This record gives sequence, structure tokens and C-alpha cells, in this order.
Amino acid sequence: MMNPMKGANVESLKNNNLVKVVYDDKIVKAFLLATMVFAGIAFLVGVLVAFQLSYWPLNLNMEWFTFGRMRPLHTNAAIFAFAGNAIFAGIYYSTQRLCKTRMFNDTLSWLHFWGWQAIILSAAITLPLGYSQGKEYAELEWPIDIAIAVFWVIFAVNFFGTLLRRREKHIYVALWFYISTIITVAMLHIVNSIEYPVSFLKSYPVWAGVQDAMIQWWYGHNAVAFFLTTPFLGLMYYFIPKAVNRPVYSYRLSIVHFWALIFIYIWAGPHHLLYTALPDWAQTFGMVFSVMLWAPSWGGMINGLLTLRGVWHLLRTDPIIKFFVTAVTFYGMSTFEGPLLSIKSVSHIAHYTDWIIGHVHGGTLGWNGFMVFGMTYFLIPKLWRTEMYSKSLMVSHFWIGFTGIILYYVSMAAAGITQGLMWRAMDGNGNLLYPDFVETVLKIVPLYWVRAIGGTLYLVGFFIMCYNVYKTIQMAPAHQADTEVLVAATEKESHSEPETGHRRLEGLVPTFSVLAFLAVFVGSVLEIYPSLNLKQYIKDEAPVAPYTPLEIAGRDIYIKEGCYTCHSQMIRQLADDVLRFGKPSTISESMYDRPFQWGSKRTGPDLARVGKKYPNLWHYKHMLDPRSVTPKSIMPNYPWLADNTIDFISIRKKVSVMNAMGVPYDEKTIAQADVVAENEAKVIAKDLADQGITQPGLERKEIVALIAYMQALGQKEKKKGDDNGKTVAGSL
Amino acid sequence: MSNEMDRDTGHDYDGIKEFDNPLPGWWLLTFYATIIFAFLYVIHYESGSGNTLKKDLEIALAQIEAVKATAGPAPLESEDKLLEKAKDPQLLAVGAEHFQSKCASCHGNELQGLIGPNLTDNFWIHGKGTITDMVATVRTGIPEKGMPPWEGILKNEEVLAVASFIHSKLGSNPPNPKEPQGTKVE
Repeated sequence: MMNPMKGANVESLKNNNLVKVVYDDKIVKAFLLATMVFAGIAFLVGVLVAFQLSYWPLNLNMEWFTFGRMRPLHTNAAIFAFAGNAIFAGIYYSTQRLCKTRMFNDTLSWLHFWGWQAIILSAAITLPLGYSQGKEYAELEWPIDIAIAVFWVIFAVNFFGTLLRRREKHIYVALWFYISTIITVAMLHIVNSIEYPVSFLKSYPVWAGVQDAMIQWWYGHNAVAFFLTTPFLGLMYYFIPKAVNRPVYSYRLSIVHFWALIFIYIWAGPHHLLYTALPDWAQTFGMVFSVMLWAPSWGGMINGLLTLRGVWHLLRTDPIIKFFVTAVTFYGMSTFEGPLLSIKSVSHIAHYTDWIIGHVHGGTLGWNGFMVFGMTYFLIPKLWRTEMYSKSLMVSHFWIGFTGIILYYVSMAAAGITQGLMWRAMDGNGNLLYPDFVETVLKIVPLYWVRAIGGTLYLVGFFIMCYNVYKTIQMAPAHQADTEVLVAATEKESHSEPETGHRRLEGLVPTFSVLAFLAVFVGSVLEIYPSLNLKQYIKDEAPVAPYTPLEIAGRDIYIKEGCYTCHSQMIRQLADDVLRFGKPSTISESMYDRPFQWGSKRTGPDLARVGKKYPNLWHYKHMLDPRSVTPKSIMPNYPWLADNTIDFISIRKKVSVMNAMGVPYDEKTIAQADVVAENEAKVIAKDLADQGITQPGLERKEIVALIAYMQALGQKEKKKGDDNGKTVAGSL
Repeated sequence: MSNEMDRDTGHDYDGIKEFDNPLPGWWLLTFYATIIFAFLYVIHYESGSGNTLKKDLEIALAQIEAVKATAGPAPLESEDKLLEKAKDPQLLAVGAEHFQSKCASCHGNELQGLIGPNLTDNFWIHGKGTITDMVATVRTGIPEKGMPPWEGILKNEEVLAVASFIHSKLGSNPPNPKEPQGTKVE
């Protein structure tokens, strides 16, 4: 809000070549309060899912409350609602000050704010209801995807508009990181979300199988890079020097680590797919680029920590510095652990286990969370023109939260390594030592309790902050005005000496932005382009049969229930995986999978070859009460699957959309997909009835479709000769 | 600290200044080392001198096969010897435990038959109800009828335990038995 200036002042300001700038602090306050609201929701749901894993009855047999639907809510809330709003708060605050100008356009600022909150609200409604694309951190359905793109562009226009109006010739390193964030997130989101709508809240990605895997993890990994790393490095570069009032350690290091980081990061996605059916070369590149990422990441940590040289004593006395220093230290730990986990032989132990969950939370709770808490404690008194209500509560928050992270990380690393070693352990006779999967799960359930307690402590710390912030704002002076500063009007033109190299680039925002885009574009194209033509990996004309109409309906239930949050469908090229689950999964087996469901975590066993392994009745009983067939299983009950009715008519549209994307169905199947599905369902229902399941109308229930899909897994390869034979070690 | 340390760049952004300190040597060395490693690694695996993942898997599976070959199948013992062993109450307890967790979902808690056949009557589809037959069926399963092979999940001793447990329940006449299937064995 512009306060009218007194006429005389305006005159004298003009004479001195000074202008008065009123920063928009209201928008920063709004984003900051939204950050706190959604932090509460993200953490609360996180603690809930942690307890659900420790104690399965907490899934409450309730459709919209089970782990499979709550987990996407937790991740989306944590990344896009909590971290997202925090980034926006920090960017709106620091960009105005670094550019010595108000945000480009207040209307765009508020459109951005309310649009983003509306997106979050729609996510919070649709995810528990099961509207999901089944792609991690990209679960939201197509109308919301479009909204995200639109509001991100509004943010971009507002941000770049501000840069172009700046009263500083050069842009500071924090702004470099914001620029690369805005450009890259737009690219990642749009490419990963190209999808074919089936209905208002249902779509299939155009990418299939290995393509979808490659693009999803290019997106997923770089969501970590460009949503949870680069913007936070930008915040670090602004708020740490501000908080300690010391110069940044090394300008040169900023330049080198910035460009190295964004160029290398974009390549590292395939380290999520090591030993899978993804072609070897892509895995190799994913691994070596991850290893090369170590030093550029640590460049940020060094610049952050060494900025404190000479004022280390603040670490003892200033709670804000405690948060910042701990955050940067966790950043250093996570970015060392990341390359380590990307080494193939380490991935062999860690992949699909809780070690990865621990790794991620070291980054999110430690680096992102503590950066945001430090920033909040820094900003609240400045924005509300007062002091924090209680310094000792800040210190309590720090120690309780820190203990929470340590419990979380240590328990998950221990759980992951324990389970990873159990999965591969062999006895002296060439057999798996722990062939029963559930045995390896039960071993780590005590650690799930420790993790849940750690998460609860973190939440308690956060509540202490909420109380502290509430009391602070309550104490604040009633009259609140935006910050006003006097700045030189012609700063931008005042430097006239010739500049060279990077310094020159820092004055040329459009050129800088184009180069930042190229840095992330090159790796993206080189890595993704080869997978766009599936044909080069699949020699046969039609090596696998497409899913039948009922199987498609079942697959959509699998996606809706979030089964992929606990089950993989990818038997890796590793002896222990083969001994446990059967021969390695191939590229052609998932060539019609939209989305791919290779998964990233095995809380339950891999399902790539579960088809025909058990009778229909086994699956029926297992879905309704997993413990009736696997005693001590920690999987939730899914009783509603036997009550909910299949929407047969929608299958017709689904099959025709699949066909439009190149899945070979004959015309009769397309035209009568619902009838075909009904007939398939009757066969399964009859088989169940023969085994004594007397539920009336069973042939119209979701559970039948899901069973059809389960029985199709690993059974779609067209048999020819002995090609379909067992592996040498036999299949289980 | 050298003289080069903490030279001010003269930059000032909203009060934030920047030193022009050199890149730390150890940091730069780490970066170079990872780049050199990356080149060597890619050349090794992309030139064909390193094994493909498929090749590595084949080698690992061949080694396991070799171990299995030397370990060999458990020596087949005579039915009488097995019957003798089957009386061991400890063995029966182990068998009961595995039966409840792995077999009961299809054969019923009381072995009365459910998805799978009744195991307490004297009608048999596979084999003639001897312990030797039961050991064979538990090991290899009847995959075409939905019974998984338990070899690899159950150790030899455990297979015998399960077979012994089933044998001990012959003629137990549980309630709600499934109708007889297969051939009557006198």
C-alpha cells in the first residue's frame, strides 16, 4: 500500500536523485502465515502416516484415511504447500530489497497468493478422495496441473518484471538461484504433466513405461533440486549474511557452484532407477552425475558456513543462527549422502528401503525445515515491527526439533540398512536367508515407532513456534505499515566502467536467464530424447498383450489407492531380487503402463510377477483382511473394495483413450469395452463363488477388477517357445 | 591465511557484501576428482570393458547355481525313517506354526480344505498321502492350480516339519470339511 507522500518531500527527494520505495510487506506476511498453516498440516499428516506404518489399525478401515492416500497428501503438502509458501515469502521479501523496488504488480502478487492456496486446497480435497495420477509428487490431476502452470507463470511474470525494474545494476547470487528455480520448475512440471484427460478428474500420461519412468524421475529428482535446493540456497544467501551481518565468504565460489550445480543436477534423475530395466547407459550417467554433484552442492554449504567466520559465538547466543547453521549442516550431510546412495552398489542395499526415507527427511526436516524456521524467526519481528515474544521458546523449539530429526534419521537409516541386508542375505546352500518378506518388515517395525516419536517431537517444536509467533504478533504495535526506504533513483545507470565476464552477465537478466535455461535444458534433452523412441529398446512388434478392459479398471483402482507408495513393480537385475520375485522385469513388460508403477519403496513385496501366484480367493481375502492370509502383515484392510461398484461405462472411454495413445485394441474391444469387462468380471466372480464367497452382486465390485489386474501382473508377455521359462534359480 | 583472503569485492546488495576469496583447494580437488572418476567410469562401462548389468546378474546367478549344485538336494530318506522323525513334538510344533502362517489361508486352519483340498481325509489328488509325497508337494507346489512351491522359502527341515504336521492330522475329522477330491487311498 503506497502511502501518499508529502509534496515538499517529493520535491526534495527528486532534487537529491532519491526516490522513496515502499516494499510490499503484506504479501510477505500472507505467504509467511500460509507457510505456518500448511507446515502444521504437512507435519501432522506426516506424523499420522508414520504411526500408520507402526500400527496398521490406525488406517481405521476408512477409504480416504489409509496410508496410500495420506502419503501423497503428506508429500504434496510438505513440498508444495509448506516449502512452496516459504519460498514465496522469502523471495517476495528479499527480491524487493535486492532490487530496491516494490514487486512489479500487486495484483499479480495477490493472484499468485490466492491461486496457490486454491491449488493446495484442491489437492487437500482430491488426494484423500483418491484422484491421483499415481506419479510421485505429481499426483494432482490435470485441471490442477493446469492451474499450477498458470499460477507459476503469473509468479514468473511478477518476479521477472521486478528484476527488470530494479534499481541495482547487478543481480545478487540469491536472485540467480531464484531465476533458475522459476525457469526449471516450469519446464519440469509442464513436461512431466503432459497427459490425456479421460474425464474431469482422470487422465493418463502420454509417456508410457520406461519413458514415463525416465521423465518422472527427471522431474522427481529435480523437484528436490529446484524446489527444495536452489530456492533455499537463494534464501540462504540472503538471510544468513543478513542475520550475522557478515560478508559472503566467496563471490567466486558462488559463481562456480551455481553454474555447476544447475548444470549437473538435471542429469542425476536416473539414480532413482539403478539396476532397473532402464538402459544401462542412462543408469551410468545418472550415477556419475550424482557423484559429480557432491562438490557443487558443498560449495553452497561452504559459502553458507564460512560466512559466519568471526561470529561463531552467535551460534551459542542467537537461536536464529542455531537454526541456520544446523540447516546448512544438514544440507551438507544430505548432499554427501545423496551421491553416496547413487553409487550402484550402495543403491543395491538402500534402494526401496527406509534409508531413502531417512535421507529425504534429513534434507526436508533439517535443511528446508530449519531454514524456514530461522527465516520465520528473522522475519516475524521485522515485518511486525517488534521483538520475538520469547527467546527461550525459540531455543526449546530448536532442541526439541533437532532431537526429532536425529531420532528420525537414525531410526530410518538403521531400518533401511537392516532390511536391505536381510533382503540380500543368503544361506550356505544358495537360498535366501529371509525368504518371507513379512519377516524383514516385522524386524524394523520397532524402528517405525522410533521414527514416529521423532516426527512427533518435530511437530511439538513447531507448535512451540506457533505459540511464540502468535504471542509476538499479539504484542505488535496496532498500526502496521509497509517498509519505506529511500534509494538512489539512477543507481542502475550510475556504473559506467566497462565490465567483463560474469560481472557483466549479472547486469543482463535476459541473457542470464537464457543461459540458466540452457544449462538445465541440455542435460534434459540428451538424457530424455533417446527414450522417446521406445522402439529401439523393444525389438518385437508386439511382445506383450495390452491390459484387458477390466484390468485397466483394476489398475486405476491400484493407482487410486496409492498401492505404489508401498509396492514396487520392478524386479531389479540383482540376484537377490530374482531369487525372491522372479526374473528381472523388462522394458517391454511395462510398455503400455500409463503411468508406470515401478515404485520407489518396498514396504510390502514387489508385485511385478504376482500374477497367477495365488488363487483369486487369496487376493479376495487378502484385500479385505491381509492378516487372514499373511499373519502379522502391516497392510491396511480395504473392505470398501467389496462394496464400491465398478463404473463399467467409464472403461469404454479409458480403452479408447489408451487406443488413441497407440495401445493396440481391436475395434470390438474398444466399442464394447464395458461389456468385455463385465464378462471378465463374471468369470472371476464365479470362481470366487465356487470357493464359497457368496456375496451377491460381487461381479460388479471393485475388488474383482483389482483381482483381474493383480492376476495380470507379469503374465502379459506373449509366450514363444521356452522364452517364458523360469530363471536358472527358479521363480517365486 | 594468505594475503589474498577476505579481499572485498565492493559489491553491496541491501547491505550484503561479498568477499572475493579463492575457491578452497580441497574443494576444487574433490570436484576434479569426481569429474575424473566420472569419465573413467563411463569409459569403462560404455566401452564394453565393464560388465553390463545383465552380464553381472548372469554371473551372480551362476555362482548361486554352483553353490546349490554342491549343496545338492536333501538325501531322500525312506518313508519309515521320515515317520520316525515325524513323531518329534518339537518338529510338529514348528510345522504347525508354518502351516498356520503359510498353508492355512488355502487349506483351512483345521486342514479341512478351503481353496485347496481337505488334507485330513483319505482322498488324495497328488500322491498317496505318504510323508514322502507331502514333502514333494510342499517343495515343488502345484503351480498350475495356484499352490506355490515352498522350496526356497522353507528350509529342508521346515518342509519336513510341515509334512509331519499334516501327516499327524490325518483322520482328525475337523468340522465343515471340504468334499473329498482325488482318489481314495485305503
